[in-house]
Amino acid sequence: MQMTQITNSKELLSTALQSRIIPNQEFLLQGSILDSAVDHLIHRLRGLCDTVDASPEQFHDLEVCLSLRQPTQTAPLMLRVRRALDRDSPFQLRYIGQPELDRSRPTLVRSSIDVGCTSTILDFLTELGCRLDFEYVSRGYIFRKGRMKITVSKIKAVPGKQQEIGSETVSQSYLVELSVLAPNGQDSIGDEMRIFAEQLKPLVQLEKIDYKRLGGLP
Amino acid sequence: MNITNGVNVSVETTCENQIQEITYDGTEIYQPPPTLSETLTRCAARIDFSKTSLDDLKKEDKSAEDDVKDSSQFQPSLWPWDSVRNKLNDALTEICVLSDVISIAKDKRYLVLDPVPEDPDEIKPIVQVYSRKKALGQAAQVLLSGAERLRNSHSEQRNRNVTDFHIELLRLRQNWRLKKVSNAIIGDLSYRTAGSKYGMSGTFEVTKAEDLTDEEAASGTTGSGNNGLPTQSPKTTSSLRVIVPAELQGVAYIKVITQKDQEDLCTANVNLMGHGPNITQQAGVWQKTLEFAQNVLFCKELFSQLAREAIQLQAPIPHVVIGNQIRATLLPGIQLIISLCHSTTFDSSQPGPINDHDHVLEHSLHQLLREVHHKNSHHPFPHPTSGPLGPSKKRMLAGPKAADRESLLEMTKSQTILEQIIAQAQHIFMRKRTQYVLDTLARDVKDPQIVSHWNAMNSPIMSCVKINIVTHGYDTINRTSLVIHVKERSLKCICRDGRVMHLSYEPQELRDLILCQINSHQISCLLNLARCMAWTVLSNSNNLGIGKVEPLGNASSCLLASPNGDRMIAVQIRCDPQIDVKVYIARSPRPDFIPNPLVPEKFWENLGGHFKEVRFDKIEGKSFLNKMEFLMAALTSNSV
Repeated sequence: MQMTQITNSKELLSTALQSRIIPNQEFLLQGSILDSAVDHLIHRLRGLCDTVDASPEQFHDLEVCLSLRQPTQTAPLMLRVRRALDRDSPFQLRYIGQPELDRSRPTLVRSSIDVGCTSTILDFLTELGCRLDFEYVSRGYIFRKGRMKITVSKIKAVPGKQQEIGSETVSQSYLVELSVLAPNGQDSIGDEMRIFAEQLKPLVQLEKIDYKRLGGLP
Repeated sequence: MNITNGVNVSVETTCENQIQEITYDGTEIYQPPPTLSETLTRCAARIDFSKTSLDDLKKEDKSAEDDVKDSSQFQPSLWPWDSVRNKLNDALTEICVLSDVISIAKDKRYLVLDPVPEDPDEIKPIVQVYSRKKALGQAAQVLLSGAERLRNSHSEQRNRNVTDFHIELLRLRQNWRLKKVSNAIIGDLSYRTAGSKYGMSGTFEVTKAEDLTDEEAASGTTGSGNNGLPTQSPKTTSSLRVIVPAELQGVAYIKVITQKDQEDLCTANVNLMGHGPNITQQAGVWQKTLEFAQNVLFCKELFSQLAREAIQLQAPIPHVVIGNQIRATLLPGIQLIISLCHSTTFDSSQPGPINDHDHVLEHSLHQLLREVHHKNSHHPFPHPTSGPLGPSKKRMLAGPKAADRESLLEMTKSQTILEQIIAQAQHIFMRKRTQYVLDTLARDVKDPQIVSHWNAMNSPIMSCVKINIVTHGYDTINRTSLVIHVKERSLKCICRDGRVMHLSYEPQELRDLILCQINSHQISCLLNLARCMAWTVLSNSNNLGIGKVEPLGNASSCLLASPNGDRMIAVQIRCDPQIDVKVYIARSPRPDFIPNPLVPEKFWENLGGHFKEVRFDKIEGKSFLNKMEFLMAALTSNSV
C-alpha cells in the first residue's frame, strides 16, 4: 500500500513536470552598481516596476550553502538554505544546476528547484552529511515587474556569533539580479528580460555571468 | 592510411607543352618549353603602348588569344625585341616633341595655350522667368505662413483666454500618462497600471489645436455631429485637443435594476462621473473628455468581467447573458438585471432616474473591481527572496506546515464579483424585508411595544438588529429581547435564553416568530406581576396545543390564584393571526354558599370550576398588564 502510494506520487510529479506547471528553470541576468549610485537605480526601478504606489520592499536574508560529497561523483552536490532574518517565514531550500552553455540565449539559464521548509532543515541536512561551504547575508530591496523579480542587494559577511548579524560588507557595490522562474520551454521570457535590462542600461549593465570563468580567477 | 590495402597511384603533371609533331608510330614530339627570356619577349611584344586606359587593356586581354595564335603561326622576327624597341623609340620622339612645345609655350612669345571653348546651352528667357517666379512664390509662401503663425502666437499671448499649448500639455501630464511616439503624443487612460488586464486599449492622441477659426469650425461641425461631447463647447478655448478612439466616446453607465414580477423595486446607475475633485476649471476642457472616455472604459471592463463570471458560474437557476444585459435570480421571483448603456449622443442620454442613485451599490461595484485590480498587481513578495514570485503567503506556508488537501482546496476558492454583488443584493432585500416586517408589526401591535435597534455598522452581506419587547410602564418587570442576524438568504435569531433559530427568506416566518415572542412576553410579564402582587402561579404553558399550529408554537396560557386562594384567573393568549386575549375568573368558595344535600360542606366549593369570561376590553387600563393589575387588585380580598 505504501509503495503504491509512493509510485503514485512519483507519477504525479512526472506528469506535473510533463505538463510544465512546475517552474524549474531560472533565467538570470546579473550586474552590480556602486553604493553611491544605488539611489538612482532604486528610483528608476520604482518607476519601471509594478506597485508604483508602495514603497520598495526590503529584505534581509541569510543564505547558507552546504555541500554533500558523494563517493561516486567528483563534483559535490550543492544545496542552499535561505531564511529571512527580518520576519518569521519558512526557510527556503534551493538546488541550482549548472548554467546551460548556450550562447544564442539572451540570459543565463539554469535549472532550479525551490522548496519551502521548516527551520529544522539545517539539522536534517547536517545529519545527511552535508557540510557548511559558506554563508553570507544579503540585504536590500526587491521589485517585481510582471513575472520578473529584481533584487538590489548588499552582500555582507556573516560575523561571529557575538557580533550583530550583518555589519561587515564585502564590497563597495550592490549586486543587482534580474531573474524569472519559469517552467520548461518558455524561452520567450529571455527576450522580455533583455528588453527590461536595456532600460536600466546606463545605470547598471546586466549580463550573463559565467561562473566557471570567474572560478578560475585567483 | 591503411598500408595493407595500399595501391600504387602514379601522379603526373598534365601535358603543358604544345605538340609539335606526331610521328607515324604515334610518338608525340613536344615543343620545348619557352625559356624565361622567350616568355619575357613574348609578353613584351604583346604590350600595346598606344593603349593605356583600363578598358583598352581589358579589350586587349580578350584579343590576347588571337595574338598568341598569330605569333605561333608567324615566323619569329629577326630580333625579338625589334617591335618593342620601335614602339619605345616612337614614344621617346613624342615625349621630346611635347617637351619642346611646352618650353616654347612657357615663353608665351610664339605660342599661347587657350582653353577650347564649349558650345553654350541655348536658354529660353521666358522659361527662366517662370521658374524664378515660381521659386520666389514658394519662398514668399513660407515666409507668409511663418509670419501668420507668429502673429497668431502674439495674439494668443495678448489674449488671456487662450493658454499656451505647452502649459496645457504640462497640466495634462500631471494627471494623465503621456509618451512621445515619433512625432505624435500618445496618452493612456486605461487602468492597466492599476492592475487591470482588460484587453481594450485606452490610448488617446494629443494634438495642438491649429487656430481659433479652425477650432470654432470644428466645434460647430462636431457639436451637432457624431460626438456631441461638451468638450467642444466654444465657450472655453483650449490650444490642446485630445482625440479619443471612437469606441470610448460618448457616455456610458451601468444600470442595475431589481425586478419583482415585472415591477421595478430598485434601480441604480453606476458610473465614474462626478467623483473626485472637479479640476476641469484649472485643467482644461480635455479633462472632461478624458474622464468621460475613462468612464466608458471602466463600465465596459466592469460589464465584461461580470458577463464572463455570469457565464462561468454554476448557479441553481443559471444566469442569462443577452447582449448588454445580465439577468440573475436573487430570491424566488426577484431578479437582478445589470445592463450596460453606452450612448454616443449626449443629449438623448440624459439619464432620468439618476435621482435614486444607489451610492452603496456603486461603491460596492467600484470596490470589487478595484480589489480585482489590486490583487492583480499586488502580489506578496517572497521572503526569503529566493522563493517563487506569485503564491500567496498562505500557499508559501502550506508546504512547511504540511497543509492537507482540504485546506489547499479551500485556498483556491474565491468569490467572483458577480457572486458578491448577488450576495449583497440578496442581503439588501433581506434587510428591507426584515425592516418591513418589524415596522408593520410595531405599527399593528400596540400593546407590548416592539423596539428594534439596527446596528449602524454592518458589512455588505450581514447586518444585525436587536429587538426589545416591553410593556409601557412595566419595563422593569420584564423585557424580552432577541437579536436577529440578517444574512444573504436567511435569518438567524438568537433569543435571550440562548435558543438559536434559523429562518428562511420568507417574511411570514419572522412574523410568526415575533408574534410568539410577544405571546411569551405577555405571559412571563404576567407571571412576574402576579408574584409582585402575591398571587400564586398555578400553572403556565407556552404551547397549549390548541388552535392553528404554527411553526414556533401557538396559544399560551397561565392560571393564577389569589393570595388567599379564593379567586382564580385564567388567561389565554392566541396569536392567530391577531393577538387575542381571553381572561376567565372563578371564585371558590362562592360567598353565597347554601348547604344542600348534594354539597353539604363549604370546602367542596374549593374544587372550583365555575369560570366566567371577563369582557377584557371593557376593563380599565392602557395595556394588557395594566388591565391585569387592575383585575388582580380588584379580586384580591382580605376577607376570608
